[in-house]
Amino acid sequence: MSENSSISNKISRQTASHPDYVWEYEYYDYEPVSFEGLKAHKYSIVIGFWVGLAVFVIFMFFILTLLTKTGAPHQENPEPSEKHNRMNSFAVDFHRSQESDKVLSCEVVEESRSLFHCYINEVEHLGRAKLNSKASGPKHSNLHVRETLGDDELDEEINSLAKFNIPNFVSSEQSSTLGDDDLLLCEQPIILNNNADDSSTLNPQLRSQTPHGLF
Amino acid sequence: MENSTHVTVNTTDCEVVEIPHEIFFAIAMVSLTENLLVVVAVIKNKNLHSPMYCFICSLSIFNMTASVSKTWENIMIVFSKMGHLYSRGELAMKMDDVMDALVCMSFLGSIFSLLAIAVDRYITIFHALRYHTIMTMKRVAAILAGIWTFCAASGVLMAIFSHYTIIMTCFIVLFLISLALIMFLYVHMFLLARTHARKIASLPGNTVHQKHNMKGAITLAILFGVFIACWSPFFFHLFLIMICPLNPYCECYRSLFQVNVILLMCNSVIDPFIYAFRSVELRSTFRKMFCCSGDIFCHAIQCLQLNSNIRLL
Repeated sequence: MSENSSISNKISRQTASHPDYVWEYEYYDYEPVSFEGLKAHKYSIVIGFWVGLAVFVIFMFFILTLLTKTGAPHQENPEPSEKHNRMNSFAVDFHRSQESDKVLSCEVVEESRSLFHCYINEVEHLGRAKLNSKASGPKHSNLHVRETLGDDELDEEINSLAKFNIPNFVSSEQSSTLGDDDLLLCEQPIILNNNADDSSTLNPQLRSQTPHGLF
Repeated sequence: MENSTHVTVNTTDCEVVEIPHEIFFAIAMVSLTENLLVVVAVIKNKNLHSPMYCFICSLSIFNMTASVSKTWENIMIVFSKMGHLYSRGELAMKMDDVMDALVCMSFLGSIFSLLAIAVDRYITIFHALRYHTIMTMKRVAAILAGIWTFCAASGVLMAIFSHYTIIMTCFIVLFLISLALIMFLYVHMFLLARTHARKIASLPGNTVHQKHNMKGAITLAILFGVFIACWSPFFFHLFLIMICPLNPYCECYRSLFQVNVILLMCNSVIDPFIYAFRSVELRSTFRKMFCCSGDIFCHAIQCLQLNSNIRLL
């Protein structure tokens, strides 16, 4: 009996005692289970499972919110000179990788929600004065391609965002309030210029996603 | 079936919790409509022909397959209960196998599509510059073909060999691996977002945008929460079938099988909201689609859009 029993969960199979093929959601059981002598509540596994699941999800949420809070207060007042140096290096990197032929424009509404909106504003304000737009080849954009975390990541992000049409990013408002939309909303910049070159393979990809707009 | 080993048994203490067919139908119809809308919108709008939307489209197609097969199964059950179906024939068993295979395929496909979406987002963030060389449309097509083939084959295998525990073990292990991968990828992305937020906050004149990170945490929690809450009960059910088929406590958990299946179908309903409908481009595509038919509906959507824009500015 036991070796013939099926563990089909979708539709019940024929049971030995019931000749007709039954279309139900039941599954075939080995034999009747005795419910006598139960020490705990009979739904204890069900309750335990769901409580464990809820605790796990809430725990995960608390870990994530804790991660958002750690380290942030220390960064509020850094050294001005250190900041200036950092901005200069970012500006230089930004200039090198700027490509005038890759033009992507973003909807202002989307930009106001993006984390990098504020960042690019700063880069632009500081760097635009001494930078002349100089078309550089696609190879230059790979100069700072590094795949490690940390500041290298940041350079990479700047380089990737250099492909966007930066002047269209400009907005003096630094929105500190998001709408009701979560950050996962900022997945993609919308092209205002619908005549963008569709034949370019680059545009469709970057068109649909902001690398960092996922959060 | 031997029942001589148990003299006095009470097999009805944990009765199977039955969910009315109408609820199954309603949820399946809602899921079908939503996912069909997503697929149509992605196909119609050329801006959405990108890897991310291809994966979202694939997820929607798998969800549609799940809804369709569950609905078909429901219809069969209703017919057989009403006596219209001759339930002993070969055809009935073959149809049962086909539906089992379809359901397994769509469940596996949904999980793999979610994983593909997470990997795609991960590559977008961590390999931003090389993204368009890593994720060419040809590779996307190959990945999707691989996913579909693997899921179809697995579905067929599972339907045929469902009584072997090794199949169920593989199913559960696949789910656990996918869950672990998805969590790792998203948490890694979240950590990077947090690092960048801190760096932006360190720029002159910027305040700490706690709210951004909090929203990111909420978004991630929703993503994981929905995935785990919808998928784990079903897989725990499979797990208990393998581990303790005779235990009364396990029996009581297994009596909630239909509730677990409803949760899976709810996942098909919720997935478009947390993946597809978040995209503004997709929503504007919907608006354009609906505005072609019916003025009142068009005005309503435009009012909603206007309100949301006013709130943001």
